[in-house]
Amino acid sequence: MSSSEKTYEFHAKEDFLEKLEELVESGIDKKNLSTLTPFHVHEVEHILETKPSALRFFTLVGALSGFFLSFVFIIFTVLDWPLITGGKPLISIPAFIIVSFECTILFGGIVSMIGFLHLSRLPDIKKIVNPRECGNQFIIIQEQVGGDK
Amino acid sequence: MNLQPFYQQVEQDVLGAMRKPSLWYWIALVLSAGAFAFGLFAWGYQIFTGMGVAGISHPVGWGVYITNFVFWVGIAHSGTLISAVLFLFRARFRSAFNRIAEAMTVIAVMTAGLYPLIHLGRVWRFYYLLPYPNQRILWVNFRSPLIWDVFAVSTYLTISLIFFYVGMIPDLAAARRHFTGIRQWVYKVLSLGWEGTLNQWRHYNRLYIFLAAFATPLVVSVHSVVSWDFAMSIVPGWHSTIFAPYFVAGAIFSGTAMVITLTVPMRKILKIEKYITVDHYEKLSKVLLVTALIVSFSYIVEMALAAYSGNIFESTVFKYRMVGHYKFFFWLMMFCNVLLPLSLFVKKLRRNIKFLFVLSLFVNVGMWLERFNIIVTSLAKEYNPYSWGTYTPTLAEVGITIGSFGMFFTFFLIFTKMLPVLSISEIKEQGK
Repeated sequence: MSSSEKTYEFHAKEDFLEKLEELVESGIDKKNLSTLTPFHVHEVEHILETKPSALRFFTLVGALSGFFLSFVFIIFTVLDWPLITGGKPLISIPAFIIVSFECTILFGGIVSMIGFLHLSRLPDIKKIVNPRECGNQFIIIQEQVGGDK
Repeated sequence: MNLQPFYQQVEQDVLGAMRKPSLWYWIALVLSAGAFAFGLFAWGYQIFTGMGVAGISHPVGWGVYITNFVFWVGIAHSGTLISAVLFLFRARFRSAFNRIAEAMTVIAVMTAGLYPLIHLGRVWRFYYLLPYPNQRILWVNFRSPLIWDVFAVSTYLTISLIFFYVGMIPDLAAARRHFTGIRQWVYKVLSLGWEGTLNQWRHYNRLYIFLAAFATPLVVSVHSVVSWDFAMSIVPGWHSTIFAPYFVAGAIFSGTAMVITLTVPMRKILKIEKYITVDHYEKLSKVLLVTALIVSFSYIVEMALAAYSGNIFESTVFKYRMVGHYKFFFWLMMFCNVLLPLSLFVKKLRRNIKFLFVLSLFVNVGMWLERFNIIVTSLAKEYNPYSWGTYTPTLAEVGITIGSFGMFFTFFLIFTKMLPVLSISEIKEQGK
């Protein structure tokens, strides 16, 4: 089965959205439609009914692991070399929460970034060397599976 | 509606600002780099000669280095406010300032991060601050606010850098079309092969929202942690529960002033006046006014708490601030931070860019003095009269302080010529 691409180019966002809706209504599988835009056009997601980005799982896992790993780590350090300072208990939870809070954000942010790069297939070496430049055009790409048309 | 000419214009204007610098740019760069070099020289002198060249000693062990640290961390905060908090609130005027403010955040945190190291004296021992069993498997003390600071500031730098870079990826992809040679290659690599496909934009948009949502509590926590460096101790004038919100408001106040200080000359030099307009400044000056009022209120609360506390040490320190050795700085601070910003109630003044620029300079001075007053006066007049004393910064300390301003402005000037100073994709998205 061979596949080819058919592209539609527009100068204006409105014409682009109109055509996209038309294509969807004409019964083309939404999975075969993609777009290239100079900025994020929110309406495209509604028209193509894309699934919510899976990035949230990366963020959640990153943030939770940041919190728990740092908490466990801090408790390990105070028990590894028990040294009472200022008459405070070895495991001083309120004080430890502050560092864990920062680590929640640190890990959450870094893992989200990695998740973004993974999900959007970046960095793409082929495209770094030879990027497809579309200027400020709004483009619809329709993948055609061989024999369909 | 065909907005292609507008899109072209935006790209040309913003990326055009990155081309050949004007004479004014070179003058500014030479002055800043000179100040930076002077600061490095002063720091080198301190490292080779010893901490004795700094004025900090008993009883005032924290002087202008810690003042500078708090000042620069504070400057960083409005960057995150503009880029993250205003993004979550969907305040559209942010797109005129957000890139500049984000760059300011990253550079200011880098400048701030140097100060604890400069203050440390033996800077090569800085790794003792990191959670790494240094000697005899002894770990750092996680109950100490100074260790919280290490985590807060380094997290802040990392997240701000990620936020700054992610926001720039689509603009770097636009930049690679407009440049040739080595610069084009740099933008090609930095834009990671971005094309603007539906999939990329979808995940990108999500990431931006998550990072903004992370940065918002982060910005509050970072300056709260900085304030706890003081508030966790039992020094009169420091040991106060209002310190965290008080510092956060002050940070946003000073940072907003710094955004005005930086952008007023910059929009002229880079010829981007039509993107950063009087309307934008008016909105920014409202942020300035609100935070000025919060800061003024904090001053009142702080003094009222001292007066009603019945604690003689607490009230002595506040009286000392008003009438003691440093009274000039206290009243200058009051003038800059409380009195002058009230002029922003007048709409005409809010829309007068020259006035705002001068005001922002006063606020910068006032906020620097606020930190100086808090730090120095409290230590100069602690509990025991036997250990009272005063502090005057030495030439080395003044030099390093000038150097930090030089470093900040040098890096900022380099940024304006290397990276797009406005968010091109966001301006395009908003349309005319």
